[in-house]
Amino acid sequence: MFCFQCEQTDRSGATPGCAATRGICGKDESTADLQDLLVYALKGISQYAVRARALGAPDDDAATFVLYGMFTTLTNVNFTATRFVTLLAEAATVRDRVRAGYLAACAAAGQEPEPLDGPAAWVPAEGTDGLLAQAAEHGVTVGLPLVGPDVVAARALNLYGLKGICAYAYHAAVLGSTSAEVFAGVEQALDYLAGDPSDIDDLLGYALRLGTLNLAVLELLERANTGTFGQPVPRPVRTTPRAGKALLVSGHDLRDLGDILEATAGTGINVYTHGELLPAHAYPELAAHPHLAGNYGGAWQDQQQDFAAFPGAIVMTSNCMIEPLLSYRQRIFTTGPTGWPGVRHLKHHDWAPAIRAAQALPGFAEDSPEDRTVTVGFGRTAVLGAAGAVVDAVKAGAIRHFFLIGGCDGALPGRNYYAKFAEETPPDSVILTLGCAKYRFNNHDFGSLPGLPSLPRLLDVGQCNDAFAAVRIAQALAEAFDCGVNDLPLSLVISWFEQKAVAVLLSLLSLGITGIRLGPTLPAFLTPGLLEVLVAKFGIAPIGDPAADLESALAGAGA
Amino acid sequence: MTTTAAPDAGRSAGDVHYPVTLTTADGVRLDIAVPDGGDVVTAARGAGLVLPSQCGQGTCGSCHATARGAYRLGPHSPAALPPEQEAVGGVLLCRTYPLGGVQVQVSYPRSRIVDGGIGRREGTIEAVTSIAHDTVWLRVQAAPDAAAGTGVEFDPGQFVELQLPGDDRRRAYSMANTPNWDGELEFLIRLHEGGYFSGYLADLLAGRRPLGERIVLHGPTGAFALRESGLRPRWFVAGGTGLAPLLSLLRRMAEWGEPHPARLLYGVTAEHDLPDLPVLAEITDALPGFELVPCVWQPGPTWTGRCGTPADVLAEDLAGLRVTAAPDVYVCGPPLLVDAVQQVVRAAGLPDGHVVTERVLPT
Repeated sequence: MFCFQCEQTDRSGATPGCAATRGICGKDESTADLQDLLVYALKGISQYAVRARALGAPDDDAATFVLYGMFTTLTNVNFTATRFVTLLAEAATVRDRVRAGYLAACAAAGQEPEPLDGPAAWVPAEGTDGLLAQAAEHGVTVGLPLVGPDVVAARALNLYGLKGICAYAYHAAVLGSTSAEVFAGVEQALDYLAGDPSDIDDLLGYALRLGTLNLAVLELLERANTGTFGQPVPRPVRTTPRAGKALLVSGHDLRDLGDILEATAGTGINVYTHGELLPAHAYPELAAHPHLAGNYGGAWQDQQQDFAAFPGAIVMTSNCMIEPLLSYRQRIFTTGPTGWPGVRHLKHHDWAPAIRAAQALPGFAEDSPEDRTVTVGFGRTAVLGAAGAVVDAVKAGAIRHFFLIGGCDGALPGRNYYAKFAEETPPDSVILTLGCAKYRFNNHDFGSLPGLPSLPRLLDVGQCNDAFAAVRIAQALAEAFDCGVNDLPLSLVISWFEQKAVAVLLSLLSLGITGIRLGPTLPAFLTPGLLEVLVAKFGIAPIGDPAADLESALAGAGA
Repeated sequence: MTTTAAPDAGRSAGDVHYPVTLTTADGVRLDIAVPDGGDVVTAARGAGLVLPSQCGQGTCGSCHATARGAYRLGPHSPAALPPEQEAVGGVLLCRTYPLGGVQVQVSYPRSRIVDGGIGRREGTIEAVTSIAHDTVWLRVQAAPDAAAGTGVEFDPGQFVELQLPGDDRRRAYSMANTPNWDGELEFLIRLHEGGYFSGYLADLLAGRRPLGERIVLHGPTGAFALRESGLRPRWFVAGGTGLAPLLSLLRRMAEWGEPHPARLLYGVTAEHDLPDLPVLAEITDALPGFELVPCVWQPGPTWTGRCGTPADVLAEDLAGLRVTAAPDVYVCGPPLLVDAVQQVVRAAGLPDGHVVTERVLPT
């Protein structure tokens, strides 16, 4: 295996990357290799799909399969080799169907079919061992001796950004929101990568196009979320448990949470959110369930401790899963793209096994003596609803600066930077946050906005999936001040972990936003040469000392 | 009989141990002894304390702490432990090898350390049924538990130790069923003449003792389990009551609808040793790719099935098998059978990673 797609990549050797029999994330060699082969197979589907769509013969089921397949290969999503063997067989079947559709469309148009090779011509080998032998030919560093590390890095930047895009698009798709533009964009990108592009300028340009595509996807996802569950409303969320049977839902998937709330209505089971599902409490349709009892635990990397201590059943949706400890392996369930060997996977939204487990487990014996809360729900509508007052406060000098401090959390000790940075921001500044990095500081009392006592100084915009809201807020502020986003008194201090964050970063870059501080480390898949280009073009800088970075930001020198 | 985990599941500790004191953020002190050459995370786990950690390779940073005392740091990523932090006592506990006394300060409260010791639970003997001339099927109902609720949680392939009332002795038996939320545990037990637990079961079977007596369950534990290796065929090889954990694995596969082709080579000495187990028919019905292959070592004249030990039959079936269909082989039974199967698998050219073993020792 060789994998360097996420922030926890092994950097102990000369070349960054997980190359042992097991990645730092826990992904074993077979699973990693089969994931690489699946990406190859999805490229093959897309080669035909692009051409079929151009002839007016789209296959949206195939496009949705591509989103799902790509999502399963994200960091900390699916660790089950068996699932990938099955997915590879499905991919070959889907590819054959799309090819047939393309051939039929060509015949209808009186056009000669384009002969396609590479992934389009892939024939799955027999058996798991045969597939693993094939996978060795299709890893992320294939072609390295020929094209050099910078090209491999630029391809990886595109691939990983695209993985994030597919994940976001899948979140929207499960809520019934799809778009031909997004399907086409994903298919085109995979078709592009199937051609093994080697021009670095072209690859970087394509990455920015993917950033633009991701904005469309994030907008689609925002509409899907708000259209299904209502506009987020600021509200406090209880973070201490109540007495009673308990079921914990983690990951990102609002639809799964909604379904589970409906399935558990009237059972006496209290449902808790975990990690990136904390912002779910802001959606009126979800918050309306009286048994949505609160949020339990911290960010994703705390799950082993949180889940072990939770006295009920656990459902892991979408992503951010780490190895379940034996102590809770029988009471954790995966759904959607997630999976772990030896953990029961709930297919077709059949929540019965999880509900049965929650009923059998003891739950919380009594209410927690304290009733602590955090406030969520400062999505686009809520923040822009107060924009006039905020703008006035800026013009009056009451608000000096805006900080967007967010992104993914993780285990590296360097991530304390974000807590220190947030806690040291001056009282006349606003902190916008999204993603799970906020768990580093969202229990800190930042007080209220200067001159606006009804608004807290820390505004939780939502999940990483809600990055579109943060972008729109920044753009709205720029409009109000009649300037560009880069001219705002706004600093972006971003922590990244996996491929969704890469997609968001590409979106920010595609908007021309410069001076982003990125940490806790810069992506390992980027070579020094490619980083140099990004730094020169966009002023991306690594995080440093929190106090010095803060001083620099307030002095107007980027973040 | 007693079941024991595969030899590589255990680790012999050295004679020299170093005292390590962990202090949590809320001031709780935990003392453990770390064997010479051992790391703190592993030693703590051995002591029943699961410290927050993830990769075990010094690269994820999850087990970051600060330390004072005599220790050596193993190879690790500078991203997880930057040199400047190392210079002021920063450590990664999975890479911290004590050389003397060590004081460790962790950044999390005591509640973040999971007590991973072996569990204890009360249960009731619900039924004992004879299924072959020397083998019984035992069903135990675990009592509801404040921590566990009504269910029993274990990994298929694991075992528990059963302790009879008023007696310190324990006997380990693998579960033959799957984890469930009703608290049911099923065991397949061979009766040995003069055996401690066998005598008790024989009394139950003969009605000399009543059902419903309370026993104590210690566990679960054990490392025997299904391995994730894609859709490789799974071949299960059992002798005697080594069948029990394999039934658990197969029943799990059936419950979850796992698509792997599966075969069970089950060996007995004579036909009359073959158990009358309805669960085998249930597995056959529920697993489309499953084949049951009884193997009789000393068959009578009317036996028409496969002859020989399961290792013999395995050798015949592996011969000429295509490489792409090479199965994973799970074997549980007496050491002689396990050793024979390992030799057969090696001779057939399957890599060592294709074999999962569990030895059953008579007691």
